[in-house]
Amino acid sequence: MNLSWIVGAIALAVVIAWYVSYGAARLDRLHTRVEGALSVLDAQLVRRAEATLELANCGALDAASALILAGAATDSLEADTTDQRSREAIESDLTQALELALGEEALLRLRQDEAVGAPVLQRVATANQRVELARRFLNDAVTDVRRVRRKPGVRLLRLAGHAELPQTFEIDDELPMLVRGA
Amino acid sequence: MRIGIVSPYSFDVPGGVQLHVRDLAEHLISLGHYVSVLAPADDDTPLPDYVVSSGRAVPVRYNGSVARLSFGPLTAARVGRWVEAGHFDVVHLHEPVTPSVSVLALWAVEGPIVATFHTSNLRSRAMQAAYPLLRPSLEKIGARIAVSEDARRTVTTHLGGDAVVIPNGVFVERFASAKRRGDWEGTAARPTIAFLGRMEEPRKGMPVLAQALPHILAEIPGVRVLIAGPGDPESIRKEMTKEAAKACEFLGPVSDQDKASLLASVDVYVAPNTGGESFGIILIEAMSAQATVLASDLPAFARVLRADAGQMFRNGDPVDLARAVVGLLRNPLRREELAAAGRERANAFDWSVVAEDVLAVYETVVFGASSVRTGEHDSRWARLRRSGRNSGGT
Repeated sequence: MNLSWIVGAIALAVVIAWYVSYGAARLDRLHTRVEGALSVLDAQLVRRAEATLELANCGALDAASALILAGAATDSLEADTTDQRSREAIESDLTQALELALGEEALLRLRQDEAVGAPVLQRVATANQRVELARRFLNDAVTDVRRVRRKPGVRLLRLAGHAELPQTFEIDDELPMLVRGA
Repeated sequence: MRIGIVSPYSFDVPGGVQLHVRDLAEHLISLGHYVSVLAPADDDTPLPDYVVSSGRAVPVRYNGSVARLSFGPLTAARVGRWVEAGHFDVVHLHEPVTPSVSVLALWAVEGPIVATFHTSNLRSRAMQAAYPLLRPSLEKIGARIAVSEDARRTVTTHLGGDAVVIPNGVFVERFASAKRRGDWEGTAARPTIAFLGRMEEPRKGMPVLAQALPHILAEIPGVRVLIAGPGDPESIRKEMTKEAAKACEFLGPVSDQDKASLLASVDVYVAPNTGGESFGIILIEAMSAQATVLASDLPAFARVLRADAGQMFRNGDPVDLARAVVGLLRNPLRREELAAAGRERANAFDWSVVAEDVLAVYETVVFGASSVRTGEHDSRWARLRRSGRNSGGT
């Protein structure tokens, strides 16, 4: 009787140990994915702000539009990267500034200016596409982490340790007029 | 960039996914990237030099049609070796939930992983049953691509999260430069319409066309129906009226070149598919060849054709199909308009455009990450120790 109790306890301990190690490894991998995706998004946002700054200074836009773009781009470059909520607002503002500055006439003028305007516009379009991609991949990763961390076993055993619960990054990043073929 | 692409389906048999993989690989190679494709294949099948065989493919009934897949411990070992030898920056898996090489690769690989979902009808029962097993490895995918809105919806409902829509690509120029063939071109008295695909598969829509034929013949008795694709003509003929069967000409399976010529030559290309199409690649090929496209109004087709790149009829309705065919055959001007608009629309799906989007996804996941490796060396215990340190430290 005693022996079978001991064997049972050992077996249970092994199962729990396996579950803990497996769950921890899975969570670790997910957190790594979120961190990676976040640094990619960070880099792409910087790239977009720099491209916007170039666009503001390229000379093909009117002075008022240029000022609005330059302002929004500088705000983005100087943003406090640790405060996600305020950063989201700043990046959405940048998208809106681009949307305002790139009206039909401005787009036409930029596209006709093959030496400077067109390549700069292309850089902004590419950078914005990368932001959209990076943000979507980050949010997918965040969704996965949050789903696993909701599981009762993971919560009970505190498998996530002290890692912060990641948040999805919510900004307006759609610039339909820059999409090819539009 | 060093890119590893995994196809779950055998290259022995042509199919949408395999063609996509082949074209993508060849286009990326032409751009100067290093590409290796892992796919099931029989030992004696001649393969392009960028393809590595993952082992023999076995015909398996999966997801409504017979697919040639490969699996088992030997295949798993080959997958591991391929990953080790490749030193890839990114691994691109196609159909990662198909029980074949892709799912094995997903299991074996650590690092930047991109996955493309082609199907719009994941078999949910098999998926749900194997879900707890698949889930953790699906979490390794850094970027998900869907080839169409329908495929994307499947991803969001079955797997959660989202996917980027990047459509299939077509080498538009190959079809645009296809030579017309006199014996396939229609005349005023004997116009031609074409059907392409596996005729015995009901969802390709052959039965709808067969039922529409008597109505078409009643209006235009001289019409010729050219049918290209694998299948037994007798099984189709015996379902038709005698007159309808006489109007059909069966060309059997055709080469890529003949397919392009056929599309370029006929008066109307008909795609009566009743479902199961996630993306109408064949419509884009037809539009590239400047064919007049008439397709069922499946959502996938409607998105490709939009308002003016082709005509649509009510899905599964032979009478509506017949009316549309007759209307187009009697109106050469309208045909020309549709063909021209279709050719223009096809450009959006050219590989030069599509591959650029795929590369943007690669670059996004690769950015700042280390290259792909097998997961075996990094044991679970090592990872646990590391995660313990990490969570303690921060």
